[in-house]
Amino acid sequence: MTLGYRPGQGLLHRTHPLTTAALAGAVSLLAFLLPGELAPWALVAGLCALALVAGLVPVLGAAAAFSAPFWGFLAVIHGVFGHDLGTAVVLAGRITAILTVFLLLLASVHPGRLVDAMLARGVPFGLAYLLAATLQAVPQLQRRATAILDAQRCRGLRVRGSVLRRLRAVVPLTVPLVLGALAEVDERALALEIRGAASGTRRTPLDPPVDGPWDRATRWILLAAVAGVAIWRLWP
Amino acid sequence: MSVQLERVSFRYPGAAFDALREVTFECAPGCVHLVTGRLGAGCSTLLQVIAGLAPHVTGGSRSGSVVTLGRDPAGSERHDLAGRIGLLLPTPWTQLSGMAYTVAEEVAFGPANLGWDRERIRQAVDEALRLVALERVAARDPRTLSGGELQRVMFAAVIAMDPEVCLLDEPAMELDPAGAEALYAHLPVLARERTVILATTDLDRAVSAAGRVILLDGGAVIGDGNPAEILGTPRAVETGATTTVARIASLAGADLTYPLTVAAAVERFSR
Amino acid sequence: MARLSSRLLALIPLAVGINLALGKVASATSLPLFLDTVGTVLVAALVGPGAAVVTGLVSQTAFTIVDGKLMWMAFLPVQLGIALYAGLAARYRMFASPLRAVASGLGLGLIAATLSWPISLLLFGGVTASGVTLVTTALTAVGMPLQWAVYGASLSSDLLDKAVTFLLVYVVLEALPRRMAVRFPAAERSRGRA
Repeated sequence: MTLGYRPGQGLLHRTHPLTTAALAGAVSLLAFLLPGELAPWALVAGLCALALVAGLVPVLGAAAAFSAPFWGFLAVIHGVFGHDLGTAVVLAGRITAILTVFLLLLASVHPGRLVDAMLARGVPFGLAYLLAATLQAVPQLQRRATAILDAQRCRGLRVRGSVLRRLRAVVPLTVPLVLGALAEVDERALALEIRGAASGTRRTPLDPPVDGPWDRATRWILLAAVAGVAIWRLWP
Repeated sequence: MSVQLERVSFRYPGAAFDALREVTFECAPGCVHLVTGRLGAGCSTLLQVIAGLAPHVTGGSRSGSVVTLGRDPAGSERHDLAGRIGLLLPTPWTQLSGMAYTVAEEVAFGPANLGWDRERIRQAVDEALRLVALERVAARDPRTLSGGELQRVMFAAVIAMDPEVCLLDEPAMELDPAGAEALYAHLPVLARERTVILATTDLDRAVSAAGRVILLDGGAVIGDGNPAEILGTPRAVETGATTTVARIASLAGADLTYPLTVAAAVERFSR
Repeated sequence: MARLSSRLLALIPLAVGINLALGKVASATSLPLFLDTVGTVLVAALVGPGAAVVTGLVSQTAFTIVDGKLMWMAFLPVQLGIALYAGLAARYRMFASPLRAVASGLGLGLIAATLSWPISLLLFGGVTASGVTLVTTALTAVGMPLQWAVYGASLSSDLLDKAVTFLLVYVVLEALPRRMAVRFPAAERSRGRA
């Protein structure tokens, strides 16, 4: 399962994952560093333009859908009760900017390529493997959790009712999932060991993404921009 | 001799009994060595001990001497053996690497971990998939394969690492009869250059591939020799570790040694 | 960092998967629970604080990537604090009885809420996960100043969530057959049997 990934050949797809990740990091930091209530929204506008150029406009729809509840909360908490609409606008802008850039990152980077990119960059295999295996294990365990929920319900488990009953229901829903997972650890460990996952040898990346001069230049520019803004804003 | 065990006993952590008791034997390339016995006799444990995974990954205590390819596979020199011992476990799903999105990547997992260059990996993967006749699924997500296809892929994954010692634990458990026959038929070819040790209770099909049988019971070796003399005896019939044909022959009161396969039975009884 | 053993490479992705999958269970019961640190606490009890910290790190990264869940990397210190606390609790045999488990769980709830309070307030203006934010909204509606509303909301959900989490890990450890438990270095000690 490839979470949020949309196959394509656009600008962001051709960019090295590290560059896109650097962009996400830069936008996240700039959203907090830049002054003014509308600065985060300027970032959002820039990201919209990028999405347009990269052929990822549907991602903007998803970003808006995810952000909307937060706009609502912020409007109520800060706007109505706090009488400070300005803060609400800034915070809403930050959340939207960060969410949008992350969704663009997810949409343009295939998880498999991300791991190869990390390995090519010298990230220790153990960490890269953990992230990759986690991304595959999560949907698998979520499916199992749903299956256990359905099975227990079939056997009469009630998840409505008093707080105490609902609390007790958590046990037969959780324990089978956890025990089932633990029972697999031994075999998985054997297979990983014999296939060299724990060996000290440097793993060969199978299909590493190309890191072109534009990628490197872009990353330097992003770093310079964030550093520049940080110094400007934080210098006493 | 690529595998030498001398008076090896092994006990899993927290277990009340030894899983292996004073096991002694040797293996070399040339024929398929078949290890069999009742459920719980210790066949899987034996393979894991030869690979050094017991006790290194499983924990537990081992006594006696295990020498695989000239070294103790669970000792400090085990890194020299990386990729030279292959082990295939019975259930395919738990052997998935967890980070492959295509079958080709899955098969390439081991070779990539060994640091081979990309061209060598590509060739090894292509050959391995051709061996199991699954080139057509190379680009598919391994999690969409059937149990049988996945087990063949995992077999390819073991072969792709080009191990000198191949340990196969119920490699045909998920395969249909034709698939199982094809797999067993290939093993003697594999065994020409490598040491192939096969652990299975599927004796009806596996026995024709075997050149030697090691019979285990309760963790101890109770028989070691060629298939006919080990599996065609009343003792083998008693422990349940024999072929259906031999069992029928025993019940029908035939003379020792019982024929093990249909072909052997036809030859014996059609006189 | 010591090279990760095969057992940890096998265990940690499953533990993180548990962290993320139990969210479904939690929402099915409509209780103010997250249960999103059960995996981390479990690893602390089975292996130790170091492995739990790695689990927390991978978990937080996975949260950030999966599901649009807005528990961003900013909350990483909270995850690491939880991992270390759970490791200590395990070392002091806090999973040996349900009472000790619940008591130390409540302690963690207090710590977790206190750790996440400044992050939530300063970086996100008190607006994070929907359920908690509902409570925050309600508290501000009755006139409570924002900073206390945020703390109150976090505290109420964290106390319950962490107490239940520790209790669940206790139950799992109890249910674990001995032959499985002994394969994990810290399990027997955590449940007070070694």
